Amino acid sequence: MQSEDLIHCLADNLRPVRPARPPGAAAALWLGLAIAVIIGAVLFLGLRRDLAERLVSGFEAPQLVTALATGVLAAFAAFQLALPDRSRLWALLPLPAALGWLATMGWGCLQDFVKIGPEALHIGVSLPCFSFILGLGLPLTMVMLRLSRHGAWFSPGPVAALGGLSAAAIASLGLSLIHHLDAALMVLIWHGLSVLVVTAIAAKLGPRVMRLARSGE
Amino acid sequence: MPSTCLPTTNMLSGLMGKPGLAAALPDDRDARDLRWSRLMAAAQAGDRRAYEDLLRECLPLLRQICRARLRDATEAEDAVQDTLLTIHRARASYDASRPFRPWLIAITERRALDRIRARGRRSGREAALDLAAELPAPEASADAALGANRAAARLRDAMQELPESQRTALGLTKLQDLTLQEASARSGMSIGAIKVATHRAVQTLRRRLTGKE
Repeated sequence: MQSEDLIHCLADNLRPVRPARPPGAAAALWLGLAIAVIIGAVLFLGLRRDLAERLVSGFEAPQLVTALATGVLAAFAAFQLALPDRSRLWALLPLPAALGWLATMGWGCLQDFVKIGPEALHIGVSLPCFSFILGLGLPLTMVMLRLSRHGAWFSPGPVAALGGLSAAAIASLGLSLIHHLDAALMVLIWHGLSVLVVTAIAAKLGPRVMRLARSGE
Repeated sequence: MPSTCLPTTNMLSGLMGKPGLAAALPDDRDARDLRWSRLMAAAQAGDRRAYEDLLRECLPLLRQICRARLRDATEAEDAVQDTLLTIHRARASYDASRPFRPWLIAITERRALDRIRARGRRSGREAALDLAAELPAPEASADAALGANRAAARLRDAMQELPESQRTALGLTKLQDLTLQEASARSGMSIGAIKVATHRAVQTLRRRLTGKE
């Protein structure tokens, strides 16, 4: 088939489409939805009792702020990368916030160690943390993949991974408002592990989900 | 953070190879870019005439980029057609408030790059076959010959079990080594359908013969 004939075929089969939202608007829509889900979870499960005290003491606030920043910046970067004419350097946008988030959790571990001693390094199992972040993070990732489905033709892997990171960071933020975990090391391990798992699942399966979302149109 | 990744004026002047042309480009480009942007917005709304006009007007630019990246004319034309299909599938991703040309060129560059990568993979396989030719002939070992015969029989059986469209697409593109256009013309299937059917056939064979996804 000649390219000129292909053009004729494509034009013959043309159907109207709704232009994709600009990345800022798409990110705002997705974040609004994600925050509504977190508020719903907080209303259903209740705020943790010691939250006000921990925020005032300055222990929790940097961790919450960096988690939120990671979620917001990763979402914005994912919607940028889903468009063909944007630089791939957008993928690095959430990196400083994510590193800051890790650093605040690491700093908490160090403070615990100084305060409590070696007992602060005791590692327990916190399946509720894991299942909460996966339970909220994966459905939110699906919504993100649906909204950024145009990226299926350009950078599906990075778009899906950033979407997963954003969803998991927001879910982790929600968990910090609800669930009580005293030891910073436990927070680092269980929140960190859950975020990694959601991001890895999104990177692995996300491109297929995006292609399916596109083929349904 | 940059919002676009493509310095179009420099690249186009490089592609065209005419130093004087770059200076003459900006005014002409702005007018043409606006026209293409308007045509694409109309195409997004379903205007077939605008869409066909747009793609025909863009075709020389697509060919220029693909030929600059891929020396082989047939391969360059395949990349042009890949680009046209991607433009069609991803047309909703164009934002009419932004310049059209960076969007178009980014897609074309990516599809040309995909072709270069595919060529690299193909040449890797060809090298592997050349090396294989230096190995002792299968007849040298009765066991090896028997194993090869069994593998060939399994492959034949697995191919027979493929749906007709997948078997046809696989045969034309992988066994007869035809280009996508030739395979499309020979089978009556669209290029997109050929690609999908070939991909599915390979996946199915891989699953059946190795048990892996």
